[in-house]
Parts: sequence; C-alpha cells; structure tokens
Amino acid sequence: MDNSGHSANHNQVLKSRFSLMGILKALASLQLTVVLFIFSLVLVFAGTLAQVDNPIWTAVSDYFRSFYVFIPNQVFARFCQTFRWVSPTAQWPGSFPFPGGWTIGALLLANLLAAHAIRFKFSSKRIGIISIHAGLILLMLGELITGIFAVEGNMTIEQGGASNYLELKETSGFMGKVNGPELAFSDFSTPKKEKVVVIPNHLLKSGGKVSNPQLPFDIEIIKYMNNSAVEELDPEKNKGLTNLANAGDGLRIRAIEKSEASGTDKDQKIDLPSAYINILDKKTGESKGIYLASIWLSLSTLKPTQSVPLDENNKIEMALRFKRSYKPFSMELLEFKHERYLGTNTPKNFSSKIKLINENSNENRETLISMNNPLRYDGETFYQSGFLPNDKGTILQVVRNPGWIMPYLSCLVVSFGMLIHFGMHLNTFLKQRAISNE
Amino acid sequence: MNKPGVFIPAIVLVIGFVYFYWQAALPADPVDGFHFQEFSRLPIIDRGRIKPMDTFARISLMVINDGFQTFKPELSEKEKSELASLKNKSNRSAEENKSLVALTGKEKRQPAVRWLLDVMTSRFSDNHIAERHKVFRIENDQLLGLLGLQPRPGLRYSIEEFAGQMAELEKAGKAADQKENSKRDAFDKSVLQLAHHLQSFMEIAALQTPLVIPAGKGEDWKPFMQAALESRNANQADPNISMNPAVSSFGQMLLSYLKNEPLNFNKALGEYKSLIQKELPVQSEVSNFEVFFNHFSPFYHCIVVYLFVFLISCFAWVTAPATLNKTAFWLCILTLLVHTWALGSRMYIQGRPPVTNLYSSAIFIGWGCVLGCIMLEGIYKNGIGNIVGSITGSLTLLIAQHLSAEGDTLEMMQAVLDTNFWLATHVTCVTLGYTATFVAGFLGIVYVMMGLITNTLTPERDKSLTQMTYGVVCFAMLFSFVGTVLGGIWADQSWGRFWGWDPKENGALLIVIWNAVILHARWGGMAKNRGIALLSIAGNMITGWSWFGTNQLGVGLHAYGFNDQLAWGLTAFWISQLGLIGLGLIPRQYWLSSRAATHNITNLAKLQPKQA
Repeated sequence: MDNSGHSANHNQVLKSRFSLMGILKALASLQLTVVLFIFSLVLVFAGTLAQVDNPIWTAVSDYFRSFYVFIPNQVFARFCQTFRWVSPTAQWPGSFPFPGGWTIGALLLANLLAAHAIRFKFSSKRIGIISIHAGLILLMLGELITGIFAVEGNMTIEQGGASNYLELKETSGFMGKVNGPELAFSDFSTPKKEKVVVIPNHLLKSGGKVSNPQLPFDIEIIKYMNNSAVEELDPEKNKGLTNLANAGDGLRIRAIEKSEASGTDKDQKIDLPSAYINILDKKTGESKGIYLASIWLSLSTLKPTQSVPLDENNKIEMALRFKRSYKPFSMELLEFKHERYLGTNTPKNFSSKIKLINENSNENRETLISMNNPLRYDGETFYQSGFLPNDKGTILQVVRNPGWIMPYLSCLVVSFGMLIHFGMHLNTFLKQRAISNE
Repeated sequence: MNKPGVFIPAIVLVIGFVYFYWQAALPADPVDGFHFQEFSRLPIIDRGRIKPMDTFARISLMVINDGFQTFKPELSEKEKSELASLKNKSNRSAEENKSLVALTGKEKRQPAVRWLLDVMTSRFSDNHIAERHKVFRIENDQLLGLLGLQPRPGLRYSIEEFAGQMAELEKAGKAADQKENSKRDAFDKSVLQLAHHLQSFMEIAALQTPLVIPAGKGEDWKPFMQAALESRNANQADPNISMNPAVSSFGQMLLSYLKNEPLNFNKALGEYKSLIQKELPVQSEVSNFEVFFNHFSPFYHCIVVYLFVFLISCFAWVTAPATLNKTAFWLCILTLLVHTWALGSRMYIQGRPPVTNLYSSAIFIGWGCVLGCIMLEGIYKNGIGNIVGSITGSLTLLIAQHLSAEGDTLEMMQAVLDTNFWLATHVTCVTLGYTATFVAGFLGIVYVMMGLITNTLTPERDKSLTQMTYGVVCFAMLFSFVGTVLGGIWADQSWGRFWGWDPKENGALLIVIWNAVILHARWGGMAKNRGIALLSIAGNMITGWSWFGTNQLGVGLHAYGFNDQLAWGLTAFWISQLGLIGLGLIPRQYWLSSRAATHNITNLAKLQPKQA
C-alpha cells in the first residue's frame, strides 16, 4: 500500500465509508460470505431437527421458504435426545429469531454479485470461479422458482378406470403452506351438471361460521383437526364419551386428533385432517345436524361423500377432500404391475400401463410409467409413486415445476467451473513441486 | 542404495503376502467325512437373493449370536463324560486316542453350516442338539432375570436353558409388541429382539426357509417343507407321479446327517447338487465364489494389516524414517490391493456399483481414504499419507464390521433404488465427498498432534501439511457438491422434486457448506495453517452427522439395540474431535514443535562460543 500521506488515506477511508463503493466493498467481503455460510449451516441444521416434530413442509415453510424464523430451543433438545444426552421428556422453552432461507439466500446473492462487481475481473484465469458462481446463482434461482410456482399432486386411477384430475398436496409455497385440503359441497340435483361449492383450507383452520350465497345453509366449524385417525364407534368401549356429531357418518365413526405428521416419520409423512361441521339454517340459525367430515372418509372408495338432506327430495353431498385440479386430458389405467423379489414381499418394481386421451389435441396413445421412468406431458411430470391396497390401482405423483431444468444446468456449469478452477490449482502446484524437486 | 532400504520393505511385503494367501486358502473336505464345504456352496434363495448355503448359515447364526459366524457346539452328556474319562486315563489305546482327538475336535468352534444342519434336523432329532447350542445372546439383566438365567461371560444361552420360561417370554413379548415404538424401553426391545431371533430359529427348524427346492419353469422356488408336502400329496393322489427328486435327495441328506452317515450324506448331496446345477449353472459359479469370499473375510484381514501399517509408520517417526516409511507405503499398497479386490468381488457378486447401503459406504469410504492417502504419500513421501491412510482405512473397516452384524450386507435394493446408473454416479460421488472430508479432517488431526506433542512439525512440514489439506478440501468440495446435486437430479427423475429438504439431503448440504466455509476462510485470510487444520477437524464432526446422525433422527425403523450403540459411538467421536480442536487451540508457544524450534536456536547459540 502507498504510504504517501496519512491524512489523505484517512480522508479516503472516511469518504469510502459513506460512498456507494464503500457499501459495495463491505457487501463484497469474504468475511460476510463466511458468516452467511455459517448462518445457513445453523439454519439447515435447525430445519432438519424441526422435522422430528413437524411435517416436512411445515419445516420447509418456516425455515427455508421464509424471511425469518423463530427457532424453538426445543429442536436442540430433540437433537440431544436423539443421542440420549438428555431425558426423552426434556422441554426447553423459548425460541430465538433467525434469518430465514429467503433472507440468507438474498444476502448471499448480493454478496456474490458485489464481489464480482468490484473484485473480480474477467480473465481466462477467472473462468472457473465465474462458472462456479454463475451455476450457484442458477441453483438458487431454481429453488426460488420452485418455491413460488411448483405444484404437487396425486392422481389415483383404479384398475380399468380413468381419471382426469389431480389431488393437490399441501406443500410449501413462497410464503407459507398452500393447497391444503378443502370442504366440498356438491349438488347433483340437475342431471349431468355437478354444482360444487368449496370452503378453502384456511377458512376451515380459522374456524367459526362460514356463509356462502351459493349454499342453501350456513356452516359452523366446530372442530378442525390438522391430523387425525378415525375409528368405529363401539358402544361398549366408548361408554361415557360424548360424540360431537349427531348426524351422518359421525354416528358410527369418530375422529381422534393426532399430532402433526413428522418429516422423519417413516409411516406417515402427510397430515390427514378431519372436521366436525355444524349445518345451520340460513334464516333461523338453527342447527340441522353436526356432521363428521374427514379425509379418511373421502379416501374410502365405497362412498367418498356423505349426504346432507335439505328437504324430502333434495340433498347435498359433502366431503373433506384434497384440493383438486382438473385436467383437459384423462388417463386410463390399462395394467398395473407390482413385481417382488423372489420369495419376499420387497417390491422390485412398479409400473402402470396408461392410455392417455386428450380430445383437444386428438391424442390417444399408450405409455408406460415405472419407477425412475416418469412421463412428462403438458408441463407436468407423472411418476410412479404408490398403489391401492391389493394392487387394485395405481397412484401417480404429479408435479408441475417450471424451474425443473435449472439444477441440471447448474450442475453442469458448476462442475465445469470446479474442474477448471481446481485443475488449474493442481497444475500450478505440480509444476512448483517439479521445480523444487529438481 | 543402502541394503536395508530395499531389504526390509521386501521382507515385510512378502510376509504380508503370505499372510493374505494363508488366510484365503480354503480347507478341503475330508474324503470319508461329511462334505460340509460342498454343502456350504449350494445355491439357495433367501430374501430375494440367490446365495450359497454358507452365507445363509453365517448370517442367520450371526444375527442370533450378535456377531459371531462360528459357534461352540455343546457336547451331549454321554460325550462329555466320555471326554472327561478319556482325559483322565493315563495309558490310552490307539483307539481311545483317536476318539479323544475326535471329541476335542468337536469341542472347537464350528462353522455356521454345522449349526444350520443341526437346526434343520432338530425337529426329527431325539437328542435336541440344536436347542442345546448356546448361541442366543441376551444382554438385558431384566430379561435374564425373567428367563431365570445367570449372567455369564459372553452372555450366550441355549433354548434348553430358558425353555421353561417360554410362557413368561410370550407374555412380555405381547405386551412389548402392543406398545408404540417410542414408548418401548430397553427391556421391551430385548424381549422383541429375542422373540425375533427365536422366530428365525423356528422357521429354519420347520424348514420353511430358505427356499431350496427349484420348481418348474415360471414358478417360484419353494422351501423344503412345502415342496415335500406337495410332492407327497401328489404322490398319494396318483402313485404314477414319483417324488420330486430334489425333495428326496435333500431329505435324504438331512436324514443321513441326523444318523451320522457321512457317505450317504455325500451321495445325496451330490445328487441334489447336480439337480441344482442344471437349474442355475451361472449362479453356482457365483455361489462358489461367495463361499470363498466369506471364508477369506478379506475386510477383516485388511483391518489387521492396516493396523500394522500404522504401527510401522509410528516407528518411522522414532527411527529409520526412510526405510520404515517405504515399508509402510508398500505394505499399505498391498493391503489396498486386497481391499480393492474385495470391493470388486462384492460388486461381482451383487452386480451393482460399490455403494448400496450403509455397510458398503463404510467399505468404500475406507477404500477412498487409503487410495487418496497413498497418492499423497507418493507425492510428499513424508509418512503422513501412511499414517492417515492406515488409520482411516482400519477405522472405517471396523465400523463396517460392526454394521455387518445387522444381516446380509448384499441385500436386495428397494424398488426406487434399483437403478445402477444413479447408484454409480450420485452415491459414489457423495461417498467420495465424505471420504475426502474425512481425509482432510484426519490430516488436521495429524497437524495438531505433530505440532503439539512432537517436535516434528517443522515450518516445511507445516506448509506441506496445509497444502495437502487444502488440496483434499478442494477435492471434497467438488465431489460433495456434484454428488449432492446429482442426488437432487435423481430425486427429480424419480419423484419430481429436486430438493425436498429431508434430513439426509440436508446432511449432504451441510458438508458442501462446510467445505465452502474452509475454502473461503482461507481465501479471505481468516484461517491460516492452523485454522485450516481445526476447521477440517470440525468437518469430521459434520460428516459424522451426515453419515450416521441423520439416520438416527428417523428413530423407529430398526429400533433394536443397535441404534443405542451408534448413538454412543457418534457421541464419543464428537467428543474426541471437540477435544482435538480444543488441543489445537492451545497457544502456539506451548506446542512442542515451536518450543523445539526456539530450543534449537538457543542450543546453537550455546554451542557457538564452545567451538570458538
């Protein structure tokens, strides 16, 4: 550094501290990079631990797709419990605020762009570093696009049957969870024309009264359970139990509230909600019966809905079901195959032979979807994901993600960059060794 | 060139070679005795895989026995008293000497196929020998109490010893079974474990497993009992249908074993074998090879020799560094060759890329560590590669040895994992990333130990060690990043989600971030030589978490005692690494290496006036 004059230097420092350049310099510092890395380390770690108690998408919403998060100390208690350091019942109250995934990601991006703006110049030596960082930006943008736009759902097709809609899964959107289950009322009174009124998930969760001009009655949500199990009511076993329901399926079945499914649970990864719904007369506000609506009931193939009588001739069908997304095409299941390893129940492969019918484009073709061999169609990808009991049908996972290509590009660009960068390092190093050995 | 410089490495190399050769040699079957070796090579089907009888026997026994693939047979009362009287007799006849040898031979540890044959014939035997073998390991005090057993060294018991308490065990088992997994205590888990072990014993005794009778085309193989009943019923319904030849020869084999008629046993075995060979010509080859592989147990012997390499490299610090380092280097290469061969053999048997489960990841990580360290040693020739290579090699193989106690390590893959392409690319890359992070971490440990408790960390060594660590971290960064992203791409290919933030993915991400921290801290001048070493040691802790810790979070799948052991091991590992980082933080002036440096200078100063 030039030592021409102390005061001049001092002035420069003063000036630069308040100039744009000064801010850029601070933003571009490697110290900031390292600090941000350590923050992301803590965030990822805590976000992993949070999955012990919460469903994976809750953790993703709270930690990674958020601007800030209050990390409960309890997640660290969970960590210690995993390794038997503290008692399994230990409770560590309190929480502390922490920057969320969007914040850390944005800062890292700013840090990276600033560094390139002031520190790095384009030169052949820098090609490696620049590619690595360009690839990383692609990767982060990909995650952003996924967070905002990706939609996931299931398509269930029975053997010999067909389907033209997806059941959307509750996932994490840009801010918070989206596509939770909804309460649907269908009116089949006009033949061939189903009229559907849907109460969205957030209204169900907030509870209280809901009124809709399209519905001939008002409803009141008495109890909503995020995750539940159902059991048949047994007069012997359930003596002394007050049943919330007094009409419909709730008379023979009851729902039991369960803690939310957790991301590390092997058996159940998604929540299966239930709700007790009071049907109220629109004019008098009088109760016309309290019903049990449950995802469990709509999953049963025998009778997925239950009837709410209006008068002697008219009725409305009610179901708590996953949010649906109807498609302009339909898929018919021609054959479902479930291969097992010899002498075991361990599955070897699943595959579904599908007939794809799209009347708009006059398409009618057969295709095979199997494990690790998805079908990409109409911006969506269909994966073999599961099957109905006794192999009676197939369950396809359906994903629409406009950013799906980004990680592929990123991987190529970053690998190229790393090979170049580290390769150049190795080359200089070996040359130096050769010289020093001579 | 000095003579010991070539001589000693050559001799040690030959000794190492002879050791491996000697361990690999298969014993031959006696001419007039039971052909147990031949029996153990029979291909059978178990858990979806065609494997030799030998593997089935070893694994069934090991799971019950908790770790041993051989057993100490129990002699009958008659044999016991005979042996005692023969031992006490002073002048024995030739005949008596012969039976003494035979009886003492019977007392020795026997291969697992002997146990298997005892169990397979136990339903028809009147001396219930299989129930008298002390092979069930029971650790829990409360369970021992319930079964009326006294703790004894080894904690291995026979069914006969607790047969009287079976009703109690069943009651406790039912109670434990009804509890939710998280609510089960150590006693419940041991009860369930024992019940599970008894179950697999019963299945073998009832000849319901493994599948030994080949069926016609397009049909599955059958267990002996089912095939025998079907064949008999068909025969009774229509006498023109003769018995299934595989059933009769296998049945004859068991019967001859029971009656102690070796020649008939061997004859039936030959008949059965020729039938099987017609059915599975290629698999018979693989089965033969697998028996050889089981017998050799190359990974175990690699541990032994890696430890020797470590010892030799330690001696090299004290005396004759050039010769001993060369010796360690060449011995390490020999062991690595055996290690490589063994890795390749598993791939040949399974027809899969190297890493398919936790066990094989340990073996592969060990292999990568040793290979990387040998390359470092080839470049630097300072003995550090030998030390780190032999430590990481033996430690990872030891971990693998522990993991193998869970069952067949060549198990079939779940449907979604049934893809050689992704196993070969993603899994191999990520595992190489783990490998390199561990190597960097152990180089960090060497840095701290050399500097702190020896005077060998000279400025040149300091520099070259840091260079080595830096190079390895770059390597780790490349592989862990590419591997992690490839994993995401696989996930996108198989269920449409590039990144799901699940614990295992996050674990891999932590390693990538940590390596990035080390590299950026170095580039920014925030960490110098010592800082890099300490950060790399912390990398060990993170890799330990990603490798084993994340599996612990999903407590519930295999929640038998094993997890507790893993939790304990990981805790100990973390504490040791934290301790090393703590030691590394001791101010430089207290390090023996820096004191030696100043000491040398003062000594020189003292010497100079004398010379003058």
